[in-house]
Amino acid sequence: MTISEKAVTARPAGRDSEAPRVGPSLLERVVGPFRRGEPPEPRQATGFYTDTTVCIGCKACEVACKQWNQLPADGFEWTGNSYDNTGELSATSWRHVKFVEQLGGDGTEVAHPDRWLMMSDVCKHCVAAPCQHACPTGAIIHNEFGNVYIQPDICNGCAYCIAACPFGVITRATLDGHAHKCTLCYDRQRDGLVPACAKACPTESIQFGPIEELRERARQRVEVLHQRGVNDAYLYGDVPGASYSELNSFYLLVDRPSVYGLPEEPFNPWLAMKGDYVRAVLALLVSIAVLLAALFLQGR
Amino acid sequence: MPGLGASFGRGAATNYQQDLAHSDCVLFMGSNMAEAHPVAFRWPMKAKSQGATLIHVDPRFTRTSALCDVYVGIRSGSDIAFLGGLVNYVLTHDRWFKEYVLHYTNAATIVKEGFRDTEDLDGLFSGYHGNGRTGHYHAMEGGWGYAGSPGSEPEVGGDGSPIYQMHRQALGMHGHSLDAGPKAHPGQRQSMTICQEADPPWDPTLGHPHCVFQILKRHFARYTPEMVSEVCGCTPEELVRVAELLCSNSGRERTSAVVYALGWTQHTTGVQMIRTAAILQLLLGNMGRPGGGIMAMRGHSTIQGSTDIATLYDSLPGYLPQPTADEAHERLQSYVEQEAHCSGYWANFREFIVSLLKAWYGDAATSENDFGFSWIPRPDGDYSHLPYFVRMLNDGVKGYLLFGQNPAGGSPNARLHRAALRKLDWLVVADWFQIESSVFWKDDPQGPPPSDIKTEVFFLPAAAAQEKDGSLTNTQRMLQWHDKALDPLGDSRSDAWYLYNLGKRLKQLYAGSTDPRDQPLLNLTWDYEFDEPPRLPDGSLSRIEGEPDIEKVLMEINGYRLDQMDPRTSRPRLLSGFSELKDDGTTACGCWIYSGVYPEPGRNRARDRKRTANPIQPDWGYAWPHNRRILYNRASADPEGRPWSDRKKLVWWDAAQRRWIGPDEPDFEPEKPPDYRPPAGAMGMDAIAGDHPFIMKPDGVGWLFAPGSIRDGPLPTHYEPVESPVENLIYPDQSTNPTVRFFEGSLNRVDHTPTSTYPVVATTYRLTEHYLSGPMSRFNSWLNELQPEMFVELSPELAAERGIEHGGWLTVESARGRIEARAMVTRRLRPRRIEGQIVHQIGLPFHWAFAGEVVGANANDLTSLVADPNVSMHEVKAFACQVYPGRRDGAEPKPTVPPAPWPTRERTPDTPDAAQPEGLFRAPGGEAER
Amino acid sequence: MNAGMNLESAPHGMPTGYAGQAATKPPNWHGYVVLDALLNNLSTGLFLVAGIAELVRPAAFSGLARVAYPIALLFLIGDLVCLVLDLGDPLRFHHMLRVWKPNSPMSLGTWCLTAYAAFLTGLTLVSLWPDSGGGLEWLRRLLILLGLVPAAGAAVYKGVLFSTTAQPGWRDARWLGGYFSCSALGAGTGQLLLLAILTGRPEATAALRLALFLILVLLLVALVLLLAELRESLSRVHRAGYLAIIGAVTIFVGVLLPLGLLALGAPRALVAAVLLAIAGAGAVRYEIVRLPHLLVEASGRREPLARAKS
Ligand SMILES: Nc1nc2c(c(=O)[nH]1)N[C@H]1C(S)=C(S)[C@@H](COP(=O)(O)OP(=O)(O)OC[C@H]3O[C@@H](n4cnc5c(=O)[nH]c(N)nc54)[C@H](O)[C@@H]3O)O[C@H]1N2
Ligand SMILES: Nc1nc2c(c(=O)[nH]1)N[C@H]1C(S)=C(S)[C@@H](COP(=O)(O)OP(=O)(O)OC[C@H]3O[C@@H](n4cnc5c(=O)[nH]c(N)nc54)[C@H](O)[C@@H]3O)O[C@H]1N2
Ligand code: SF4
Ligand code: SF4
Ligand code: SF4
Ligand code: SF4
Ligand code: SF4
Ligand SMILES: [Mo]
Repeated sequence: MTISEKAVTARPAGRDSEAPRVGPSLLERVVGPFRRGEPPEPRQATGFYTDTTVCIGCKACEVACKQWNQLPADGFEWTGNSYDNTGELSATSWRHVKFVEQLGGDGTEVAHPDRWLMMSDVCKHCVAAPCQHACPTGAIIHNEFGNVYIQPDICNGCAYCIAACPFGVITRATLDGHAHKCTLCYDRQRDGLVPACAKACPTESIQFGPIEELRERARQRVEVLHQRGVNDAYLYGDVPGASYSELNSFYLLVDRPSVYGLPEEPFNPWLAMKGDYVRAVLALLVSIAVLLAALFLQGR
Repeated sequence: MPGLGASFGRGAATNYQQDLAHSDCVLFMGSNMAEAHPVAFRWPMKAKSQGATLIHVDPRFTRTSALCDVYVGIRSGSDIAFLGGLVNYVLTHDRWFKEYVLHYTNAATIVKEGFRDTEDLDGLFSGYHGNGRTGHYHAMEGGWGYAGSPGSEPEVGGDGSPIYQMHRQALGMHGHSLDAGPKAHPGQRQSMTICQEADPPWDPTLGHPHCVFQILKRHFARYTPEMVSEVCGCTPEELVRVAELLCSNSGRERTSAVVYALGWTQHTTGVQMIRTAAILQLLLGNMGRPGGGIMAMRGHSTIQGSTDIATLYDSLPGYLPQPTADEAHERLQSYVEQEAHCSGYWANFREFIVSLLKAWYGDAATSENDFGFSWIPRPDGDYSHLPYFVRMLNDGVKGYLLFGQNPAGGSPNARLHRAALRKLDWLVVADWFQIESSVFWKDDPQGPPPSDIKTEVFFLPAAAAQEKDGSLTNTQRMLQWHDKALDPLGDSRSDAWYLYNLGKRLKQLYAGSTDPRDQPLLNLTWDYEFDEPPRLPDGSLSRIEGEPDIEKVLMEINGYRLDQMDPRTSRPRLLSGFSELKDDGTTACGCWIYSGVYPEPGRNRARDRKRTANPIQPDWGYAWPHNRRILYNRASADPEGRPWSDRKKLVWWDAAQRRWIGPDEPDFEPEKPPDYRPPAGAMGMDAIAGDHPFIMKPDGVGWLFAPGSIRDGPLPTHYEPVESPVENLIYPDQSTNPTVRFFEGSLNRVDHTPTSTYPVVATTYRLTEHYLSGPMSRFNSWLNELQPEMFVELSPELAAERGIEHGGWLTVESARGRIEARAMVTRRLRPRRIEGQIVHQIGLPFHWAFAGEVVGANANDLTSLVADPNVSMHEVKAFACQVYPGRRDGAEPKPTVPPAPWPTRERTPDTPDAAQPEGLFRAPGGEAER
Repeated sequence: MNAGMNLESAPHGMPTGYAGQAATKPPNWHGYVVLDALLNNLSTGLFLVAGIAELVRPAAFSGLARVAYPIALLFLIGDLVCLVLDLGDPLRFHHMLRVWKPNSPMSLGTWCLTAYAAFLTGLTLVSLWPDSGGGLEWLRRLLILLGLVPAAGAAVYKGVLFSTTAQPGWRDARWLGGYFSCSALGAGTGQLLLLAILTGRPEATAALRLALFLILVLLLVALVLLLAELRESLSRVHRAGYLAIIGAVTIFVGVLLPLGLLALGAPRALVAAVLLAIAGAGAVRYEIVRLPHLLVEASGRREPLARAKS
């Protein structure tokens, strides 16, 4: 059973009324986007450190996010994929708790004691963010906290960011045709509040703070885990890789990234762009050269 | 929770959740804490981050198991065997805490010659009357008492027989049941522990064949690792590993805690499972100490409070036994004589009951009229939940007020419950939603057509917690006040409003009547009006008229000194605590254990939210009794009053100040020195020695052996669930608990152990995403999308055997009925080798039924209605079933409400665009700001 | 049902987690984008070829070019309509022009298309002017010169846009841009050849025939390079039979056959060659645009919007 478009947009009697909303003037629509306010003063960069080894899969983060941001439910579909009925990140699910059952038995053996990995996925707020490079309207910015933010009033739904994100974070909402994702609670941060999901997390699996502090804390945690014999513990995205920047929302994992549905080695497409342009221009010039040659050779 | 009550004196969690952070090892058994108490689970996680070891023993690999260092899978209902194995290990490997056990438990006490253990009688204790399947024990006859305690006496009260009240008090703790009148258990009317005379004979060498320690050793000798593995389906190594972890993390320097919940209680042997844990923790010396104890993780918000304040039919507030239709209970005097202990805190019994009567009947209660004792209604039988609905089913009930419960969905054998509701003439449901119990007459897919149902249902919209003042008593006995944030919507009102105004109208209705039977109602104090009109936090006047001032109720519960006026309020002075109580009618107190919560005008300690340097955080809320956060904490010091170790110090004797000091309130007479020894014939607290920490016990020590206070035996014994595919390996002649009560009938068939028709073991449980039978979650899209459909968890082996596809449908059938659900095939469930045969186990969440935004099959249409002898607890945690692939009936309930709409599409008024919720997606072509 | 798991890969289809599933989400690009990718090249290609030809051999080509520009403009308009309609919020198309972000192929492309559209419109108007042969000739030349650069940009960016994404398939296609620009020129030459035939200009026909022949040879190289890069991805989502068909349509029908027909030289053959080449180009674009969608599905995860999102 899934929510139909109608069901979602319909209002029950008594609740918020069907008042026709007068859109802004045509002029405003045309010139509005071109107006520029003063960019706010840069602040200390913030982000998330998610320690998956203490996640209890309670999904409080998911619910807190939907509640704070007033996002709708995505429909009631039982996936059967362990306890994950959210399925994926999307324009209306900005947090997604993943469940990976790794238990041995009937034939299959596992290297480690039986495990049930849980991980709360979210936008990685990449320091060099493909989605931001891609955005042709400038809707996607790094805000004063160094978080990747989609300005909802600017996005025109071209979907290039969706194609560009190596983590499949963004989708386009059918309701407004715009791209949406985790804002890292930009609104709460401006008011000095901790993001809703981090606030709700009972076990501090989601830790929010100045990104440098988080990276330090995370490294110490890995140390401790190694001492306790959890040798597979490592950090994902705390430092820049060969083909990708560091993430301002990084993870402590205990298995290969792909097990959590993360790219083994995220690749920033922009590293290849110049080369592709060169080839494209080259091809064009050669074709033109050939054309010219033919024009001169033939029928003089 | 008589398991704890009988062992330690109070049937409540002994420590507080935050204290789990101080544990060196935590055993979660019968609790799925990470899923059912996720927020509290942060504390064990803190302990883990500091190096503590977490252990989970559960039939399923759950989200708790995932976070624990050690997981052991066992078969549902085999816990006593596992715990017995641990006890046996501790005893045989000499790992018990000598000094602690010797001084703080009744290990050395010698038991009556006449007592015969299950070892001697092949699974039965002496004093049994019954057919092996159902019956009762005559504890006196069975000689379940301490040697030297009085022998049989005439059937009149008169002897302050502690055992009986301990029995009652124990029951009161979790309430529920008082079998068909005390007469059913004449044996338990007698005294089992020494009274008035000197201490019971004891043998400090623990060598006496009839001392508790030796009986214990013999009793648990059968529970070897091999036997345990045969019964539970774990490996012997797993048992030994857990035992070793607990032993190495207990003692002077270290403490281990046990956390349990329904995985233990919801069995016909549940009370004894808890008893076994109590014995284990006493032997390891973990009681009354930081990071130790036994945490009962309780359920609904304030379920603890509702037992404290006695919503249960068989106890009065503060666990005073409900007087029954029985001559000994006719007059106050004889009642008190029968129920009071001569030693221990219960010796003050008369003060508690008289103060309660003064609180209820005010000036009308005088010494001449027994303080109105005769006005308290006397139950003549078992009015606990399950028997009550059986009575309803047999047309024994005309009308029913249902406040905040959903028996049509959440109660064991819900189908029977629905049938019973259909027998009512009228039903009043006060609830937030149109739940199964209020729409059963039209939406029950299995029910008859509405035209055939005569029940008239009235629905009263109930206010939510945020819409009313009040206090919640949480699992650690802590009262926390919440202030009303806003008025209830529309016509909805607080439960207090409904009851208060109902009471007022009834009083009007009977005004002036002289009929004696109307006097209880007419004499009831019923004056909780606000002094000035109530206001909301924003200062505006409340819209609601006739709301009672709940804080006045709390003051009444705290109690007054009637003969002293408080100049500040020109009302009677508030009591500072229960030590002030009097038995002459000069004090009024609505619930003695709560006394002290409102010590002076304007000081509601339940409202305290002060963080201090004290790790115990005594100024956050108020914990009964007397804000003690760790019960029996005298035991955190050695017999001489010195902390067992610096690492685990909590309360100790300060020779200089000559008092007990430490971060926590001492759960002991603050000035009684460790070396105090009661003079011969001492009474009350004076009879408790300075090195006896369990002050609620007549002998002041923890009970390894519970002389008669528990109905199915002084020591725990493994019995199979009433529905089990296997026989009892430990006592082949006695497969199930011999004192279980059955309510068998066409709607409640039981396929007795050993069953071959239903070879699969089933258990039921919770998911983090839903709440109980679902009303509080299945009307919420944000939760429903997380767990949208009823499913059944089963192992790949069983799935393969039955040809069930993951994600497909399966049918589960029990002797009560049949349901269909989606198959969740997962290795988190395992087949177990029991007595050489493979036993499959399945798991069913019980959150779905036929009312709400998402609906589905109800696990409780499979569960049975049986009752354990102590608290009339059912056995929804272990019953027998059969599973088939696919669907049989294909019955598909339709949601009763449409999915919630987009939370808000309206912009929040007077709010800049930047502050609008991000999810308030603008329509296409929407405006552009900034 | 069963989104996010793939039933085959475990006994009894037990929960399988996420391993092997594509981490990316395909953009909501479907038919409009296929059309856009084609129309873009038809328009830019036609303008580039006609413009260059007119500049270098006015005598032979300016007549032909005058006919070509309006056609290029029509295709361009069609292309822009596709681009706008493909947006989630078409009324916000102009937001593209808030910023100049050459680093974003889509931004660069949009600006190029806009500039190109401006010059082409001007050029077309002037060209249609009654006696523009006279005084306005310099203006036409100027507009052509100015138009060539953005047109080239518009022809080039498309492929680079696709390859500059995280999408499986596209992200490995280093020669995508090369193929597109080459194919643009080919499409342009082909269209002009058609016009030359239809308007009976033997001289131009001969030159363009040779040009097209040579460009198709280049295109063959680009296409082979591209398919080599995509072979692995394609074979993951298509059965061998269908792969063969793709090969046949794109290489044989789209390039080899036209080459042969061009060699024949009969007017009918030439017309057929051009049409086949364009059809082949369309086929390539169709397969390319849907590739990531297929790859994501094949990886076991379903498309995001296939679930009832909002
Ligand atoms: N999210 C959520 N939280 C809740 C509730 C809820 O409905 N939803 N309900 C609240 C209420 S009212 C209560 S009472 C508590 C209950 O809290 P819990 O008792 O922890 O919850 P349950 O899931 O009923 O049972 C706990 C575990 O017992 C296991 N179990 C079943 N049979 C046995 C057995 O024979 N032996 C052992 N050792 N384990 C067994 C089950 O597999 C389950 O994992 O939770 C409270 N918290
Ligand atoms: N098979 C199986 N059955 C079980 C259990 C199990 O583990 N397995 N667990 C058992 C346990 S531990 C419990 S506690 C019971 C719980 O069973 P119930 O007590 O029936 O709990 P709910 O189903 O949540 O029903 C509580 C109702 O109270 C309403 N409510 C909430 N707040 C208020 C309020 O302030 N005022 C009023 N008037 N109504 C309110 C809610 O809307 C809801 O409809 O289920 C038991 N049933
Ligand atoms: S994760 Fe994706 S959406 Fe988030 S910042 Fe990085 S690229 Fe952008
Ligand atoms: S969809 Fe919106 S946010 Fe994404 S790239 Fe296009 S304009 Fe930018
Ligand atoms: S930071 Fe805010 S927006 Fe992002 S996931 Fe957490 S709650 Fe949602
Ligand atoms: S709230 Fe924290 S613990 Fe719960 S699922 Fe989210 S991350 Fe995990
Ligand atoms: S629902 Fe309330 S009681 Fe239960 S875990 Fe959450 S906060 Fe604690
Ligand atoms: Mo409960």
